[in-house]
Amino acid sequence: MLDVVTPGFSQRVWVLVLRRGSVGVFLAILVGFAVAAPNFLSVGNLANVFSQSAILGVLAFGLTCVIIGGGSNVVAGGLDLSLAANLGLCAAVFSRLNNACLELWLSVLLTLGCGLAVGVLNGLAVVLLRLPPLLATLASMNVLAGLELVLTENTVVSTDSPLLDLLSGGTWLAVPALAWVLLVTAGVLTLLIQHSAYGLRLHAVGEYPQAAQAAGIRVPAYVLSSYLLSGLCAAVAALCSAAFFSGSTTGSGDMLLSVVAIAFLGVVFSRRLVASIPGTLLAALLIGFLINGFQLLNVSSFWVNGVQGVLILLVVAASSALNRGVHP
Amino acid sequence: MNLRALLPLTLPLVFALIVAVFAVQAPGFLSAGNLHSLLLNNFVLLAIVAIGMTYAVAAGGIDLSVGTALDFASFSFVVLLNGGHGWAVAATGALVAALLVGVFNAGLIAGLRISPFLATLGTLFIGTSAQQLLSDGGQPIYIAQGVKPELTGLIPLLIVLGLALFYGLALARGRLGRELLAQGTQPLLAYYSGLSVRRIVTVVALATALACGVAGVLLSSTVSAYVPLSGNAFLLNAIGAVFIGTTLSRQGRANIPGTLLGVLFINVIANGLLLIGWNFYWQQVATGVLIFVVLTFSFASRRVLERS
Repeated sequence: MLDVVTPGFSQRVWVLVLRRGSVGVFLAILVGFAVAAPNFLSVGNLANVFSQSAILGVLAFGLTCVIIGGGSNVVAGGLDLSLAANLGLCAAVFSRLNNACLELWLSVLLTLGCGLAVGVLNGLAVVLLRLPPLLATLASMNVLAGLELVLTENTVVSTDSPLLDLLSGGTWLAVPALAWVLLVTAGVLTLLIQHSAYGLRLHAVGEYPQAAQAAGIRVPAYVLSSYLLSGLCAAVAALCSAAFFSGSTTGSGDMLLSVVAIAFLGVVFSRRLVASIPGTLLAALLIGFLINGFQLLNVSSFWVNGVQGVLILLVVAASSALNRGVHP
Repeated sequence: MNLRALLPLTLPLVFALIVAVFAVQAPGFLSAGNLHSLLLNNFVLLAIVAIGMTYAVAAGGIDLSVGTALDFASFSFVVLLNGGHGWAVAATGALVAALLVGVFNAGLIAGLRISPFLATLGTLFIGTSAQQLLSDGGQPIYIAQGVKPELTGLIPLLIVLGLALFYGLALARGRLGRELLAQGTQPLLAYYSGLSVRRIVTVVALATALACGVAGVLLSSTVSAYVPLSGNAFLLNAIGAVFIGTTLSRQGRANIPGTLLGVLFINVIANGLLLIGWNFYWQQVATGVLIFVVLTFSFASRRVLERS
């Protein structure tokens, strides 16, 4: 097994089948729902799914950046468990600031600043203090969840502002604003992570830090930057969440595991079976379509988690079976 | 002077310092009543789950499905008790239910070679669905009137001690423990030494699930009910406790005494801050910050010592 260094022909075929297969499963689910539920493919419903996937999707983009920059080993590699708590905190910050009659642009700026600050904290803990990301972000998750409680006193802080109205109700070219946020964030991050020199170096840092270091890349700076991106994503998702719920809500920490699942599920949509922004977008939409389709078909939403779990296991089992030849 | 030998003392010293501060600042802290409630109400369940988690971490993995095993045990226990079965049958059924979760995990990790993190994440999601379907979306099931669970008084504490002793000795002194730590610290070396990775992984998954099953029985006999998805509350604190506990070992390995101290550390901080009169919300912030500080300190000191 050790002598297989480059994937052989049959293996390439399998990767292709798996990748096409996962896209095929995605399409099959769409077609299945479209046949079973007549409203499913209506423009309104599709738009609905896109906007409902925005919060989880944007959060999962953040996690994807961290995974790319830190490596996909979940214990030693990149991981950000504080994403969901960061969203909760940012949403609380925005709601409080907005209710304190601050200028809108200042509230938005401070909210983004809050998300970034959390990213700096996580990044420094990983790069400077050399804590394993799993532990560093676990600890910061506790701190952030506590700060959110301090700000909200564990209640719903409702707020309203023109920005939130625009995000929750606005449409442009018949596409709702939240869907635009999802797509634009995906577009910008795809350009940055998949198609820029920065993105290439970030991939190098994540996959082979020693080689990246030897090639003259400042590894710590790139790892730090991936946590900054993650913090920023949390803040953007927080604004979406504030628009969706008209303020900050409790229990945002529950989103954490779904976000992790989406980011790892997205792996199957990439060519080399690694984390990627477009893959994560597809995974977020897939979960969104599943939830939506179940609702339309009156299937109990209690099934969603289970189907999600089975999907993760299938995907990971298939990709680890394929990788076995390369990495015994 | 061998500085390296002093490293394991970091956590106990910090812990003693914190206890001393609370003893002075909060007069009721050292009272028998407070210590009693601290141990029986807060310590027991987290300690048992964390003991299970210690095995998963020691073998180089992690178990995100501890809550699922706990909940399945709790569900089976309550249903069997309400079905008119005796206490012993219910407890046995509960442990079997938890072990089923362990078997499922073992199949995924050892059979399909999925990484423990993702395998147990999948189990967690499937378990969540199963519980929602079983409990009609999260309705608690109460133990019927007249059926009295017999796990009161100091019995839970004795169970923790027994489990800690058994798991601790097996990990620190037993053959299994050596193999497990070898797998956790040098997986390739363990592989080339001819250790059966599958067997180790299976034993670990079962041992973790079994501990969580015990916690599930204790939880439902304490609150006289099965509350769906209540086990997940222990997940992150258990991981935290285990990793705080690794600072007790010179090599940074997961170990049972360290885990127990980690659990006490988390509980004492929460309890002490409450007694001092801190706002409940600030408690969580302070707990996070303190965990952060301890981790930073221990990782930094280990690095400094390694360099010297």
